[in-house]
Amino acid sequence: MSAIPAGRRSRPRTPGSGQLGRKVKTTVGTAALVVAAAYVIAPIYWLVVASSKSTSQLFATSTFLPPVHLSWGANFRSLFSFGSGEFKYWLANSFVYAIVTASLATAVSTLCGYGLAKYRFRFRKTIFGLVVGSLMVPATALVVPLFLLEHDVGLINSYQGVILPMLVYPFGVYFMSIFAADAVPDSLVDASRIDGASELRIFWQIARPILMPGMVTLLLISFIGTWNNYFLPLVLLGDTTKFPLTVGLSTWASDLNQAGVSQPLYPEVLLGSLISVLPMLVLFPFLQKYVARGLTFGAIAGE
Amino acid sequence: MAVHDVGHATSVDAPPERKRRPSRASERAVEARGRAGLGMTAPFLLLFAGFFVAPIIYSIVLSLRSPATGAYAGLLNYRTVLSDGAFWSGVQRMAYFGVVQVSIMIGLAIVLALFLDSPYCRGRKFFALVYFLPYAVPGVIAAIMWGFLLEPDLDSALRLPHLLGITGSTLNPLDFRLALYAIMLIVTWEFTGYNMTILLTSLTNVPRQVLEAAKIDGCSELSIAARIKLPLIRRTVVFIVILSIIGTLQLFNEPMILNDIANIGSSYTPNQMIYNTAFSFGNEQLAAAQSVVLAVITVVATVAFYTIVRRRIDPFATSQGGA
Repeated sequence: MSAIPAGRRSRPRTPGSGQLGRKVKTTVGTAALVVAAAYVIAPIYWLVVASSKSTSQLFATSTFLPPVHLSWGANFRSLFSFGSGEFKYWLANSFVYAIVTASLATAVSTLCGYGLAKYRFRFRKTIFGLVVGSLMVPATALVVPLFLLEHDVGLINSYQGVILPMLVYPFGVYFMSIFAADAVPDSLVDASRIDGASELRIFWQIARPILMPGMVTLLLISFIGTWNNYFLPLVLLGDTTKFPLTVGLSTWASDLNQAGVSQPLYPEVLLGSLISVLPMLVLFPFLQKYVARGLTFGAIAGE
Repeated sequence: MAVHDVGHATSVDAPPERKRRPSRASERAVEARGRAGLGMTAPFLLLFAGFFVAPIIYSIVLSLRSPATGAYAGLLNYRTVLSDGAFWSGVQRMAYFGVVQVSIMIGLAIVLALFLDSPYCRGRKFFALVYFLPYAVPGVIAAIMWGFLLEPDLDSALRLPHLLGITGSTLNPLDFRLALYAIMLIVTWEFTGYNMTILLTSLTNVPRQVLEAAKIDGCSELSIAARIKLPLIRRTVVFIVILSIIGTLQLFNEPMILNDIANIGSSYTPNQMIYNTAFSFGNEQLAAAQSVVLAVITVVATVAFYTIVRRRIDPFATSQGGA
């Protein structure tokens, strides 16, 4: 509050601009922010509460209040045992897809971005143009075409079939090429060359440590994107033991609506949903900075 | 391309300076280095060719074949798409959705970002984190959460207006007519904070001297926000609107899940319809044609929007060459 410039204090323009007006504005503004925060938090809070209820409690108790007897234990056991324990496969698969995709996509994009930033060669501009142009193509537009192609080459219903398309990460290449152009000094690369290091060795020993912060950003965005992906694995997978969480839970959710299903899976779907968002929500405060840096990259580079 | 004209103006074509040395040996070394650079891009290019370019070409080829015989059939599938009422009502639904939802979401994101960037705000870091949280929630899970919350059997609050006699029957936000607004609510929940995060970062790049000068001149915070900050981040606003237009036309997860929970229909959005053409009806050729048409619509919508706002965000747009 002490940072108000002297000039401002000396000439109040309107009666509302004094300390009192400022306090009112702060209160009103903060209240509006709280309302918006409630909109964000409410469904997550509800998910936590609802996942603690049995099916009958879910329909009988108040929506936003926890039940008297928590059913987490029972829900947890039935979540992992239903359908010969398919949920544990989904959980493990989500980790496999996300970890493998994020690491490989980051590696491929970093190498390519560094190559584009630090070397002159024929087709360099063409490749860069391709990367930038493909940023415009939404990933979902490629899903059905990918299915048709993978179907004919027999990649369908396999881990590779899901992971390989997600390794094409034009944003990662674009991000890394600009990151590398800024972060890795040419003098450093030239000095290593004079010392007789090979180009790959320069990349691995000199550039990679410098590029690490950018790689962390790419790794996180790719991990979250893969973990959250639904359309691609839904289309490419048929075998329930290969499903990630998103696809598996959606099959349970669709059973809720089908007449004649023996047992409605409300508690399992709700607890399963909670488990699939919890790790990321808990880690998010620590990762927010890296993720935000990546997302805002394309938008603000030209400001 | 448009996204990039907007998002990013300078650094792409700024290659590191390289001094030319006359000796032939060093020329060979430069050439070898170039090969090393090209080699570094090879893994990406191979994947790009196999899983990006190939499916696009393949689906164009497939879209020209007859669903019945598999033989070349010219534009038969495209004629089917163009005369298909359900496809176009899906597109129309998304156009309406885009106009309403994108305006609300971007407006909300701008207001929140300007608020968080103003001195009238406590707990800036906390709120910025909370708003960004839905980014970490899969669209499917968001749709399941909201779908259940909007389901009258599950949500006791929804029964309230009926019990109090305000409405004749229980309000059902997931019936066919209202489902579009339910999806708007979900998508707004998912992406407002994401857009706000981008805007907020952009706002922190506004030069502080400009803001200080405005304050000394007696500008109120409101007019600083409206007249200085907003114009300075207009490129970012255009960028996130374009991303949102693309996202809207590609909407899939939310209507799929809501259809699972509440039967809103299997061709509610174009992408959902393409999925069903290919997998429920097994008509891959028609699905390929629908994919191509949707991609064209997306590009046209994006370019149209960009053309309209281009002059506003960049008064020198017309005089700019390829430099």
